[in-house]
Amino acid sequence: MATLLINGERREVNASPGMPLLWAIRDLLGLTGTKYACGLGICGSCTVHVDGEPVQSCQTPISAAEGKAVTTIEGLSADGTHPLQIAWQEINVPQCGYCQPGQLMSAAALLANNETPSDADIDAAMNGNICRCGTYQRIREAIHRAAGAASTDGGGR
Amino acid sequence: MSTVHVVNRRDFLKTTGLAGSALILGVNVLPRRSEAGVLDDADFQPNVFIGIDEDGTITLTVHRQELGQGGRTACAMMLAEELEVAIDDVAIVQAVGDLKYGGQHTAGSTTVVTSWTPLRTAGAAAREMLIAAAATNWGVATSECRCERGEVIHGASGRRLVYGELASAAAVLPVPDSPELKRPEDYKIIGKPTRMIDVPAITSGAAIFGYDITVPGMLYASLERSPRVRGTIKSYDADAARAVDGVVDVVELEAGASGLNNNSIAVVAENSWAALEGRKALAAEWDSGPLPDETSAEYGVRLEEIASQPGRAAREEGDVDAALAAADRVIEAVYTGPYLAHSPMEPPVATARIENGVCDVWASAQAPMWARQEVAAAIGFSPADVTVHVPLVGGAFGRKSKPDSSVEAAMLAQKIGRPVRVAFTKEDDIRHGFYRAQNCQKYIGAIDGDGNVSGLLARSVFPAIGWQFSGVQEGPYGGALSQGFSNIPYRIPNLRLESGAVGSSLRIGWLRSVHTTFHAFGVNSFIDELAHATGRDPVAFHIELLGEPRILEPSNEDRANPYRFDTGRLSQVIEAAAEMGNWGRELPEGHGLGIAAQYSFRSYVAMVAHVSVDASGDLTVHEIHAAVDCGPVVNPLTVEAQMQGAVGIGLSFALHGKITVKDSVVEQSNYHDYPVVRLDEMPTVHSRFIQTEGLPAGIGEPGVPPAAPAVVNAIFAATGVRIRDLPIAGQNLR
Repeated sequence: MATLLINGERREVNASPGMPLLWAIRDLLGLTGTKYACGLGICGSCTVHVDGEPVQSCQTPISAAEGKAVTTIEGLSADGTHPLQIAWQEINVPQCGYCQPGQLMSAAALLANNETPSDADIDAAMNGNICRCGTYQRIREAIHRAAGAASTDGGGR
Repeated sequence: MSTVHVVNRRDFLKTTGLAGSALILGVNVLPRRSEAGVLDDADFQPNVFIGIDEDGTITLTVHRQELGQGGRTACAMMLAEELEVAIDDVAIVQAVGDLKYGGQHTAGSTTVVTSWTPLRTAGAAAREMLIAAAATNWGVATSECRCERGEVIHGASGRRLVYGELASAAAVLPVPDSPELKRPEDYKIIGKPTRMIDVPAITSGAAIFGYDITVPGMLYASLERSPRVRGTIKSYDADAARAVDGVVDVVELEAGASGLNNNSIAVVAENSWAALEGRKALAAEWDSGPLPDETSAEYGVRLEEIASQPGRAAREEGDVDAALAAADRVIEAVYTGPYLAHSPMEPPVATARIENGVCDVWASAQAPMWARQEVAAAIGFSPADVTVHVPLVGGAFGRKSKPDSSVEAAMLAQKIGRPVRVAFTKEDDIRHGFYRAQNCQKYIGAIDGDGNVSGLLARSVFPAIGWQFSGVQEGPYGGALSQGFSNIPYRIPNLRLESGAVGSSLRIGWLRSVHTTFHAFGVNSFIDELAHATGRDPVAFHIELLGEPRILEPSNEDRANPYRFDTGRLSQVIEAAAEMGNWGRELPEGHGLGIAAQYSFRSYVAMVAHVSVDASGDLTVHEIHAAVDCGPVVNPLTVEAQMQGAVGIGLSFALHGKITVKDSVVEQSNYHDYPVVRLDEMPTVHSRFIQTEGLPAGIGEPGVPPAAPAVVNAIFAATGVRIRDLPIAGQNLR
């Protein structure tokens, strides 16, 4: 039995310590906003925050998250109104939407450390998150919007 | 005009979520030939339903799935426009899989195409019936009443009644034969930027995709499938898998006769992790099965050999042999492309429950009516006892047309007697796909003494889609070739277009834009080569070769189909893209612009790519200028998003996409060895719409085909290096 602090709530999970946090969050705690896509930590869909840092939950054993504060997309804001969630809605970022919780969690970690990221900062912080629908241009725009700055060039480079 | 019916709610299926509505209208979407068989028009019932409750709630059953293409939103927009309500007032109920929907298969860029007339007609009929009910109530003429924001208003007196108060009275009125549709200039919703209705749930994490479905008592399964198509089980260690904490059972699943599934060993567990760990312990070994060994490099050589020999003519005009014999110069080129996997972010997944003689399946499915038929056949049920529900689909691109995961989940649920979710891993997705065909095209152009193109002999060789179902490895013919090859629009007086037959050891499927992905690459690359060989500007050359606008009949579609291939519209998008990209401008050393244009899935897209290649040969795609003519645009935000997405996936394939096989086993497994475009490689995409009047066409696919040739042609302009084999990665660009 392990104890996890998820979105400010203490939750007990009955899992082997080697189980990745992703499956504990999804299968044992029923928080399905965090997505499985690659299982290798190379696509970013399972991104959550552990003590504020973005981590790939598919590569993080439960044991490594014990005693730390874990935030999932469900805990990013109480009512879906984090500035990034608002910007995502205003700019109509998602298409299929499957990767977007991971995109939002990576972007939130970026903005927490860097209030006005440049395009290069966004490249560096968001390159671990794959979107197959091709929403990248709007992701960039929405991060700039949430940061309170107009997009420098409307997208790419 | 579509026929609208009042639906008796006592007869109404509860699964539609409309049983409580006071007024229910049903309308037919166009029947289409489905993969599961040809539909009989006589059996065709109303299949898209609109309900208005007494409390004013408006519900629309949408028979197409949301894959991220904005289809559900477009459907709600078309209804809301004619019904005179806001889009937020329309609640969407996702239809379950049923053959009565005909073209329910969310593919071929057809959601708007098939829904445009029926949904607007149904909305207009409801509007006129609500007005009639209000006019009767007030004792005034219907012509004195109008609808606005969910109310009927009597202009002279200012009296108002909300729709909910009128729904019951309207339900007993006759349905107008031909309700009057709004004029485009009066549109308040169609053509206006409208956010996708699913966005708030997606951004909060509440949206439920196929991978997120849970059913009480459900188990989690991971399947070890034969690495070769039709391979058989040799050995595995069930005890070792059962010894893993949380594993409940190990079960063999046999490949069915349908060709959808391969033999597999399912590890069933209390959670995903236990299922995955148990599966690792299986240490399964496989026998090869009946298909011959295939290895990609050798296969590529074989395709090229076939492309070098006379093939079967798909189209012939004039005398190309004479033109080649008389030519001043002959230009030849061979273009190749590899197998491609779809790799949507959400791998294929389905959950099945069998209880009291009925089977419910929840699947990320593009073709739920097909899933229903195959599930029923696999578990020996009547289709009437199978319901396929479709949650949000986490990307699909054609992969999720195949109901293989639904069949596996249902077979497994039947064997173990508990609900079960069958979830593909990314490795399963890459290795057990229905791939875009590996292909080879050869083009031979005759240039006469005046420098004009006097002849074209071309061959396209690729394995046909569907051999795994028919068992016959021949083709490609007909429809497959009309995707960008046999309907080449350029005016060349002597022309012969041929195909060559080849088999495959992999299952071939539809992938976004299907065969147009490689035909557009071949044709647009060769046109560019001819332009440079004859000293012409590529944009001017496209326009010149297209010549006077003419209508090319679609060769693989119903002749009654109102959509036509109008070459003038192709010229228009080329001119627009050239203007957007400031074609002909001076560029720094190492930079170049490339043009490509393609008609596909009833729409016209031209792209100008701006690339640069630095001294060390590194490629950057800076910008793509896309001009689109898909007729009247229903939702500009969607069309823009689809252009960006088409560039994203088109570039992924052009730059990186390559599936290879060794001894008929796929060698790639995940995003590290099957890379896709990430944010830092994504160019800025600029879109412009040329909205030719008439019918709206689809937009899910048409942006993909021009992306790769536009980039390849831009690389040539920048460096003089001609890429003829995709992907680009790993090739020397300097």
